[in-house]
Amino acid sequence: MQDFSYQRPAALTAAIEAFEQAEDGRFLAGGQTLLPVMKHRLATPSDLIDLAGISDLEGISIAGSALSIGAMTTHARVASAAEVHDAIPALAKLAGCIGDPHVRNRGTLGGSIANNDPAADYPAAVAGLNATVYTDRRRIAGDDFFTGFFETALEEGELITRVEFPVAAAACYQKFDDPASGYAVVGVFVSRGSQGVRVAVTGATPCVFRMRDLEAALNRKFTPETVSGFCVPEEECNDDLHATAAYRSHLVGVMATRAVAAITDGEM
Amino acid sequence: MAVPGIGDAVSRTEDQRFLTGRGNYVDDITLEGQVYALVLRSPEAHARIVSIDVSEALALSGVLLIVTGEDWQREGFGHIPTKSAVRTNRDGSPIAEPPRHCLAMDRVRFVGEPVALVVAETAEVAASALALIEVDYESLPAVVDPVAALADGAPQLWDDIPNNLCADFELGDAAATDAAFAEADHVIAIDIANNRVTAVPIEPRGAIARYDADSDSFELYNATQNVHANRDTFAEQVLGIDKRKLRQIAPDVGGGFGVKNGVYPEPALILYAARQLRRPVKWINTRSESFLADTHGREQISKVELALRADGTFLALRTTTTGNIGAFCWTVGPFTPTGGSARTQGGPYAIGAMHYQAKAVFTNTQPLDPYRGAGRPEASFQIERVIELAARELGFDPVELRRKNLIPRAALPLRTPMGLEVDCGDFPQVFERTLAMSDRGGFAERVAASRARGRLRGFAIAPYLECTGGAPNEYAGITFTADGLIELAVGSQSTGMGHETSMPQILAARLGVPLEDIRYVQGDTDATPIGGGHGGSRNLEVGGNAVAQAADEVIDKGKAIAAHLFGTPLDRVSFEDGRFLVPQTNHVLTMPEVAVASLDPGRLPEDLQPGCLNTGSTFARSAIVVPNGCHAAEVEVDPQTGIIEIVGYWVVDDFGTIVNPLLCDGQVMGGIAQGIGQALLEHAVYDADSGQLLTATLLDYALPRAGDIPDMAIEYYEGAPTEKNPLGVKGAGEAGCCGAPPAVVNAVLDAIKESGVTNIDMPLKPEKVWRAIEDARRAG
Repeated sequence: MQDFSYQRPAALTAAIEAFEQAEDGRFLAGGQTLLPVMKHRLATPSDLIDLAGISDLEGISIAGSALSIGAMTTHARVASAAEVHDAIPALAKLAGCIGDPHVRNRGTLGGSIANNDPAADYPAAVAGLNATVYTDRRRIAGDDFFTGFFETALEEGELITRVEFPVAAAACYQKFDDPASGYAVVGVFVSRGSQGVRVAVTGATPCVFRMRDLEAALNRKFTPETVSGFCVPEEECNDDLHATAAYRSHLVGVMATRAVAAITDGEM
Repeated sequence: MAVPGIGDAVSRTEDQRFLTGRGNYVDDITLEGQVYALVLRSPEAHARIVSIDVSEALALSGVLLIVTGEDWQREGFGHIPTKSAVRTNRDGSPIAEPPRHCLAMDRVRFVGEPVALVVAETAEVAASALALIEVDYESLPAVVDPVAALADGAPQLWDDIPNNLCADFELGDAAATDAAFAEADHVIAIDIANNRVTAVPIEPRGAIARYDADSDSFELYNATQNVHANRDTFAEQVLGIDKRKLRQIAPDVGGGFGVKNGVYPEPALILYAARQLRRPVKWINTRSESFLADTHGREQISKVELALRADGTFLALRTTTTGNIGAFCWTVGPFTPTGGSARTQGGPYAIGAMHYQAKAVFTNTQPLDPYRGAGRPEASFQIERVIELAARELGFDPVELRRKNLIPRAALPLRTPMGLEVDCGDFPQVFERTLAMSDRGGFAERVAASRARGRLRGFAIAPYLECTGGAPNEYAGITFTADGLIELAVGSQSTGMGHETSMPQILAARLGVPLEDIRYVQGDTDATPIGGGHGGSRNLEVGGNAVAQAADEVIDKGKAIAAHLFGTPLDRVSFEDGRFLVPQTNHVLTMPEVAVASLDPGRLPEDLQPGCLNTGSTFARSAIVVPNGCHAAEVEVDPQTGIIEIVGYWVVDDFGTIVNPLLCDGQVMGGIAQGIGQALLEHAVYDADSGQLLTATLLDYALPRAGDIPDMAIEYYEGAPTEKNPLGVKGAGEAGCCGAPPAVVNAVLDAIKESGVTNIDMPLKPEKVWRAIEDARRAG
């Protein structure tokens, strides 16, 4: 790791100011990706602006019919919070299966979605629950937030402050995780709420996406059998050391079927 | 303070230190004025080094020294020798042993090969300097697959070694085997690959070297398994110094599994740097470097053929193996796929004729050296896989087929066609006990319950036989101190196995003293005159017997002192339960009382000097011993994803006398965990074209986690203590790696047998299992 200056501001405005003044500043939101990259000298920022000191960015609350989670809330806290278990248990389960306990105690919601790793779990929940991402400048619909491979709608220096997840009637996240990394080889988030069914897929392709044709079919008939016949073409899937495209394509169907079945079973 | 006995489950005395973070590993040591070394490693699998420019790196503030292969050659240092027990090919010619220098000279042959050493005031400066060294490589074609490497026209690693062939080995009777095959009713053949793995000890390798100019001597703190042998090589064969001027100390070592046994270049490099700079030099590998620069294990590609009579009787076994040994012979690399896998061919089965043939092959990969089992797990996997296939193809019950062919107790002792002296054991009893533990009666019901949940359930049983011993001699020294402590020094050394408990336990039981009275010393070339390090599950067998032998010598000497103090003839003194006594009298002295007397000239007979009770004793083992046992596994497979869950695991091991069942359980569990890792998860993969290691981080190399390891029922058969050593013990450390892979793999294949799939190469990753089932379905 190369030398850098470290700051830990207590207020959002101070963090933004520090970023603007830095020659090549980076926000630190848990550091579970950034720090390993820096250790390998693949990133060499001049300044690290740690957001962990800003209490406004941390916390969980119910706001009307939505669950609001601060950007700097750790995965461990989301996984264990009573508010999350009561409102959207699938989200608590998702947070509880990210990485390992070390990662969950450090990694944050904002850090995860800002990084938009194609195999990360949270993007599936943001897309699958029609969440809204709030930043220091604006609000971004979950559907518009993830724009590509490690890319988001965030502008230079823009900071996520919190994410609002509408409470769905029922939801389930089914994940096939890689035994080495714990990342999702394929993860499928299915929700069923007042605005219909959502199916979001992570891990399978370069960026999280919604299976809109399957959603439409499930809106007509919400059964596990409905899933068969809808697949993500092999050509669109990631192919690497951990799984071939064909296997990922197959797993999307299996995980989606199991998610729908779990919701159906839960409702019966 | 109780006196422990042999067989007591004494808790590990070292765990307080380890579990509270107070272990003392190499990286915990800081010497005054210490500086930091890092190794520049080759990014190329095969390339000519055109030039190395260190000028910019040397100019960096804080950089103290840079050493390249050219510098090393100028100093005239020797290369690191190979100590493979197999030294000749089957035609009698010597095996190929290309020179291994500490730094690459004009060519690099694997990714990770050391190219230069940088020493700087801080590790950060050293890292910056590494990036400034400019090496001009001219890439050469690389080959990573050992079968491909043997082919004509393959890239050649060494100009004078045709077809990259290091060793061409055979053992057994080819003619008798061929004859038995010719007469057999059935011949079953299987092609299997034993996957390449790496040990990933929790403590990466590292060392600190200190040079004292006044005495022209060195100290080396090294995370090694083998202080004496490695000291000798560094001193006499590489650096050309008097070995008495090099003290090597292994402080707490965080795991070895064989990969810290061999001789690595880095400690030699920093010994040199410490002398050049007159400052202590520390080097610690990163985890990433560990993947690239620790020796790997396994990687054998084999054809296994079994000849059977119509009734299922085994007649002959023929195994033909190609073993990858990487770019160099390393320390004993050529032995593993040759002699290492040959000796235990056929396992615990009666097979009249056997022939084993193996080629050890150079490739552009990290060299391979012993990894927990070093050839015996491969042999165990070979026989168990071919038996499972034979049962399937010929319509035998796999349990019955094994039962029918196990060597009966009455047939022991015997010498196998591979020359292994099997002295004792009861393979059928161990087999039946394992079966009984696994509740075969309830299996059908469990299969049905699994099926109702969409899962497939399978079972397999895997008896194994292996051989242990390692370096044949070991030293134990016993010193009585004036403060009432007994110092026990043994030349072998723990890398986490609990020697600090088990070795004193043997001494305490023998002398009748509490453990608290014993201070244990290990891992220091100054503490014992010889030492065989750790390898081949040897410590209890060789070190433990050395302790027992030394204790007996102490008792004999103590009797002379007691006789003098009692005023009775020596032959009337006996030693029972920690007391010297004369039967039918009130003459009694405890061991501590005699120990105090042994330091007092006024209480000793004229011919004995103070300190006379102190003893140093070397135990020489007679022959390798033959641990054996039986594993059984039950698994559930999710056919939609290929995910495997091990839902039952049972083991009965015959390790002869069990000294400490708690520590023994730990060895069994650890071996099984690594065996399961190899069976289901672990695979070190090189890119076929570039020769890059694709699994060079823990994000890509799947180690088993606690959740991947099932509960296991472990029992011991103690009815056959070996007479090959006084304690009657057989090595326990590597057995788990012999039994677990075949038990798990065969259980998975049993679970999916309706698909018609008969083989999947390890690791059985979910995708492979799913794909095999799918392919069979489409083909069927």
